[in-house]
Amino acid sequence: MFGTYKPLWGKKPRFKSSYDAVIIGGGLHGLATAYFLARDFGMTDVAVIEKRFIGFGGAGRNTAIVRANQRTQENVPFYRKALDLWPVLTRELDFNLMFYNCGNLNLVHSEAAINAARMNIATAQFCGVESHLIDARQCKEMMPALNISEDITYPIFGAMYHPPGGIVRHDAVVWALAKGAAARGVHIHQQTAATGIGVENGKIISVDTEHGKINTPRVLLSAGGYTAALAYRLLRIQLPISVLTIQAMVTQPLKPLLNHVISSGAYHVYANQTLKGEIATGAHMDPWPNYTTQTTAHYIKHQAEALAELLPCLRGVKFMRHWAGLADMTPDMAPIMDGNDHVDGFYLDCGWGYFGFKSCTAVGKYMARFMASEKCPPILKPFNLRRFEQHRLMGETAAVVNYSANN
Amino acid sequence: MNRLDGLPTCRIDSSRKIEFSWQNRRFTGVAGDTVATALYAGGVRIFSRSLKYHRPRGLYSLDGESSNTCVGIDGIPNVSAENTVLKEGMQVRAQNVMGTPRLDLMGFLDKLDWAMPAGFYYRTMHRPAAVWPIALKQVRKMAGLGKISPDFQMPGRFDEIYPTADVCVIGGGPAGLSAALAAAGTGLRVIVMESRPWLGGFFDFRVCEYRPGLPLYERAAELAAQVEKAANIQVFKNTAMVGAYSNNLITAFQKGEADDPFDERYIEVRAKSVVVATGCMERPLLFENNERPGVMQAACAHRLAHTYGLVAGQKAVFSIGHDLGIEAAIDLFDLGLEVSCVADIRKEGQDRELVEKLAERGIDFLPGWTAVDCSGKTVKSARLCNLDTYVQEQFECDLLVASAGMTPVTGPLCLAQAKMAYDAHTGYFLPRQLPARVHACGRLLGLNDAAAIEVSGQVAGYSATLDCGVSVEEGLRQAREKLDSLAGPAKGCDLVMAPVKGRKAFICFDEDTTVKNIKQTLAMGFDATELIKRFSAAGTGPAQGAIPGHNLALFVARYHGRSSAITQPTTVRDPLVPVHIATYAGAYHDMCKRTPMHDAQKTAGGIMQRIGVWKRARYFSSDTACTAEIENVRNNVGMLDATTLGKFRIWGPDAVKALQRVYISDMSKIREGRIKYSAMCNEDGCIIDDGVVVKRGENDYYFTTSTARAGQTVEWFRYHSRYDNWDFNMVNLTDAYGVINLAGPNARKVLEKLTEADITNSAFAYGGFCEFKIKNTIPVRAMRLGFVGELSFELHVPSSYMQSLWAMLEEAGRPFNIQPFGLEAQNVLRMEKGHLIIGSESEQRTTLNDVGLSFLWDRSKSKAGTVGAVALMHTEKQEGRLKLVGFKMDNAQRAPRDGSIVVDQNVCGHVCIARYSTTLKEVIGMALVKDHLAGEGAQLDIYEDECNGQLMHAHVVKMPFYDVKGERLSM
Amino acid sequence: MALTLTCPICGERNGYEFRYGGEDKGPRPRAEDPAPGHWCEYVHMSPCVAGIRKEWWYHKDGCGVWFTTERDTTTSLEVKQPEKTR
Repeated sequence: MFGTYKPLWGKKPRFKSSYDAVIIGGGLHGLATAYFLARDFGMTDVAVIEKRFIGFGGAGRNTAIVRANQRTQENVPFYRKALDLWPVLTRELDFNLMFYNCGNLNLVHSEAAINAARMNIATAQFCGVESHLIDARQCKEMMPALNISEDITYPIFGAMYHPPGGIVRHDAVVWALAKGAAARGVHIHQQTAATGIGVENGKIISVDTEHGKINTPRVLLSAGGYTAALAYRLLRIQLPISVLTIQAMVTQPLKPLLNHVISSGAYHVYANQTLKGEIATGAHMDPWPNYTTQTTAHYIKHQAEALAELLPCLRGVKFMRHWAGLADMTPDMAPIMDGNDHVDGFYLDCGWGYFGFKSCTAVGKYMARFMASEKCPPILKPFNLRRFEQHRLMGETAAVVNYSANN
Repeated sequence: MNRLDGLPTCRIDSSRKIEFSWQNRRFTGVAGDTVATALYAGGVRIFSRSLKYHRPRGLYSLDGESSNTCVGIDGIPNVSAENTVLKEGMQVRAQNVMGTPRLDLMGFLDKLDWAMPAGFYYRTMHRPAAVWPIALKQVRKMAGLGKISPDFQMPGRFDEIYPTADVCVIGGGPAGLSAALAAAGTGLRVIVMESRPWLGGFFDFRVCEYRPGLPLYERAAELAAQVEKAANIQVFKNTAMVGAYSNNLITAFQKGEADDPFDERYIEVRAKSVVVATGCMERPLLFENNERPGVMQAACAHRLAHTYGLVAGQKAVFSIGHDLGIEAAIDLFDLGLEVSCVADIRKEGQDRELVEKLAERGIDFLPGWTAVDCSGKTVKSARLCNLDTYVQEQFECDLLVASAGMTPVTGPLCLAQAKMAYDAHTGYFLPRQLPARVHACGRLLGLNDAAAIEVSGQVAGYSATLDCGVSVEEGLRQAREKLDSLAGPAKGCDLVMAPVKGRKAFICFDEDTTVKNIKQTLAMGFDATELIKRFSAAGTGPAQGAIPGHNLALFVARYHGRSSAITQPTTVRDPLVPVHIATYAGAYHDMCKRTPMHDAQKTAGGIMQRIGVWKRARYFSSDTACTAEIENVRNNVGMLDATTLGKFRIWGPDAVKALQRVYISDMSKIREGRIKYSAMCNEDGCIIDDGVVVKRGENDYYFTTSTARAGQTVEWFRYHSRYDNWDFNMVNLTDAYGVINLAGPNARKVLEKLTEADITNSAFAYGGFCEFKIKNTIPVRAMRLGFVGELSFELHVPSSYMQSLWAMLEEAGRPFNIQPFGLEAQNVLRMEKGHLIIGSESEQRTTLNDVGLSFLWDRSKSKAGTVGAVALMHTEKQEGRLKLVGFKMDNAQRAPRDGSIVVDQNVCGHVCIARYSTTLKEVIGMALVKDHLAGEGAQLDIYEDECNGQLMHAHVVKMPFYDVKGERLSM
Repeated sequence: MALTLTCPICGERNGYEFRYGGEDKGPRPRAEDPAPGHWCEYVHMSPCVAGIRKEWWYHKDGCGVWFTTERDTTTSLEVKQPEKTR
């Protein structure tokens, strides 16, 4: 049934001295872009270089939620595209990504939040994405474990129900994309850190790595939480990013209890039940930049307090694993996808915060198009870097006031 | 099962019976039992079925190292029977069982293991695509161990404490106790955490001699007594350390005993220094069917007898790799267990005395042999194999004690960011570099010798003392010298796996991961241990890495033919022991603020809602359109509790400079007695706050902010002047002052009854500020404002007077039928007047210019360095921005819902607020729309959620909608 | 991670008592020099240093002082200043 056991992404490839394109970062975005470069544009002479192992960073640390119920019309179609690609990739890559289309409930806890949710819903419906406003009683019917009583800190007023969303097995996506990319000729070099980028006359000419120099006319920097630091270290480009540690945790596995992903902005919590039966939950970040990927006592306690109110039956369930990853946040909570701006042949994909997983397939598809054609696809244009100096923030978040939001 | 009652090491009282149920059948245990030992005593051998293959699982360890004995107790899933003290009336149920634990209907899955190789789910069930949704349902049903009801209510009392200590010792065994005594001897405050209900650890259950005439268990009692006696040592028993974070923050949870005022409690300790003395557990031996009920770790069998008075079987085979296994065999033989043979993986290096004792008892000793298989649903026989000749021999038995070696419990050190390295002599991953102010001692360093364990504890205790600034260099030097003279770590057994294929040799019990699965994973190119863990799931189950952790790293190294030194075990994660969410949650934590008029408003029918940090009255009747409230303000007089407004005093020589920095207007021109309305922006020019400022004296100002900004305003002022060394002071008076907005055409008539002050329109005009007393007593700061568009007095008084003032106004207003009004009524009233609320009519990206407040912006004060001024310049001519407009609906029956969007081919904005105005008898609203739609007369096409493309239409009109000339404000 | 910070007035305290206020970039640029790129650099941009850097912190649940201190972003621990000689 399973035949012999062969390396999924082939034997260790030869390290060549030149490639048509080099992608820095063997996470979901890098691998997806490599895959689509090969699939859609026949660009197979591509190297993905990864300092550690593929899927080391956010790719393996997120809680696997996918959805397309963002706030603005620039974002909704993009995430929708990403959603549409899960079944396609499952088929193409012959790897079960385990897309569990359970739908998402974004709980709202005030009348103001209902109005905000309604705007998201109207925008989604206008863009052809399914989303509905439901009341607290409907929430309870869909999720009997929910506490809809009025004497909790943030009583539930209703929810934005988004049927197309769900969860996907994140590690499977990493492996499947690596498999698909490698099968099409992409070289994946693990344990290979980028140490420099060569620029001549405003054009990319090479990438230095710990294993030697690679000549190349184009580079994509998509190293997740490490992108901003690398952009500065390798090219002296500063980005409007602050890198925070975001934490998540799972409970011991249970028989089916939660049939949807739920999230609550007021409680700073989301929760979903993985196919293994664990309740995966998270959301909060310590609001100061760091690269530690260390967990905090403060947070696991906060999470427990929130869940104990929101889903009281979980008080009898145990947390068993708690971890952290990096989230690179921009001032407007929207990503930066840009290219050929500061340096010709230099492409940038970062600032995903905690949206890196749900977007990865669409990022791969469109960044590949950008890199292959050297023209920015219209869908990516709103995500340019210059918007920050023009004070044109994206409006993905309703109201956050920061100092210098980032740094 | 009869208990061995006379043993001095026993921790049970068999005269006290405890009734409980298992699978709805009555069982009896005794005081001191855990759920696991009571069940075992009752003859239960199969406790659960495994996750994937539904294999029978039984008692293997006693400290909860695997999910084998995870059971459901009183509706709570995944309770480790090994770590749970038996209580009267417990209802215990087996998990993951369809049928009975012995006859499980899903047991056939064990024969289908060939169809479930490592990661099989990634490679199946997706072709054709239609299969997946059906398969997924089955996957969900099969997955998961325990069950919990959605309406389950967790009983019990949960507590939390945050003690501090000089030294926190983790582990109450001989090393930890010695460390605690060493540190406490110098007068430091010490905390000791021990997960078992008693101190003594590794010494507690052993009868061999510490020194002539003194058995280990008595030595343990000596140490424990000294520790318990010390006034400066706080002992937490039943306390499992679960987290270590930087700066020596240690978390743990404690289970309450009968006389404790809590059932579980969360403990968070910040210590100056930490000593880790968590000892060792056993490393499982990998052979076929190595997790059958009847296969047991050596210490499990040993402690079952010595601690719980239970001999684990009739006839046993021992297959071990360390002297403790031989010791156990001897002790258990002496207690009446028939021992067929003791197979030792090691060919040599055993303690000669122990081997002699085996011979004295006529027990066969087989050095260089290991178990390779066992048979039976519970063990019926074991097959042993010579590691050189591969000769095999079969033994009948009902107990197979199997243990490859020891593995140090380094979880706490790993969490504390210690660097671990493989040590070839012990075969352990040992700390190579400890973080500052963290020390390790005892068995987890590989020590076996009783004296060495204690002295290493003293070394750690003195080292921790030094961290606390107490000079104990001499004591430390002596302890170190003594330690050097004692026996060091013994050579460990390095066998990873018996010579078997490993189809049913389980490296991870919780996830049913076999050696074969790991081989498959490696063959598929997963080489980093972290990736192997993710693909094979080994170490991701309820007990995490306890069973597979050490073996997996060793096996992977062996497989690649490389030294274990370069293979690292997978990352250790907190919590080290699974912890109830109820325990982490601890006490109830909602911190919500109420105004002084909270109760008065509730009495008046106020429907209170939480808005930000406050509870506020949103409505005063069930009519959410608030028609009566609105009409009363428009035609008569109403009062609103506006206490939540931010209120501040700023004074000092540079107060004006500070105001100039953060307010967008020219604040140098405020006249005494007059109110200045202005706004604050952030560096993107986006409006973040608006409010009023009054001058109360030279360089002395009082100002208000929106409710949401109250908490951050002082911070904001100070932040934006942090480089300037300005001399000004600020006080946040938000909680010190309460505010009532008395509004409506009869407002003056009400207020006149309460004060002598001249509040006529000529003396106190619109936009004015004055201070006077009410009833000659209550000092009030009054502002003539008009947020709701009527004659209004905003009365600021000290909070302690608020309730009195509210009552006085009610009384004085009774002839006019004064009524309180809530936030929703205010919302409509202010909208009719075209007043905005930041956050409602603005987004994060909305500038001052976008909301039409550019008149507030004074461009002539560039020297002030006003926050946001540069960005306002950058953006004022920008096209494509969203602008705030007022609109009237065309022929609408009703208002579009707030949050509806404005569209053409694209989304062009959204409706911030829209209401049917009872005052104006039409539907009006405010929207943020793209600039091309912002001109007066432009048509807005409004798309509501669930409208199915049926648009509503409106036209942009000038604001305000109500009282355009403002006559009603200045009555 | 359990950050503690040393408030110049209150001494060493739990990190959650403080609000992070950004990297120390020096005084704000003069409004007379409003080049968008320059201004944006001051307001939003960061080299995102992995290592030690000087930052502003506010003791929000304490004395309300803004102060600068050095912190290592790879450990998220404050870099202890050598004690002043008395």
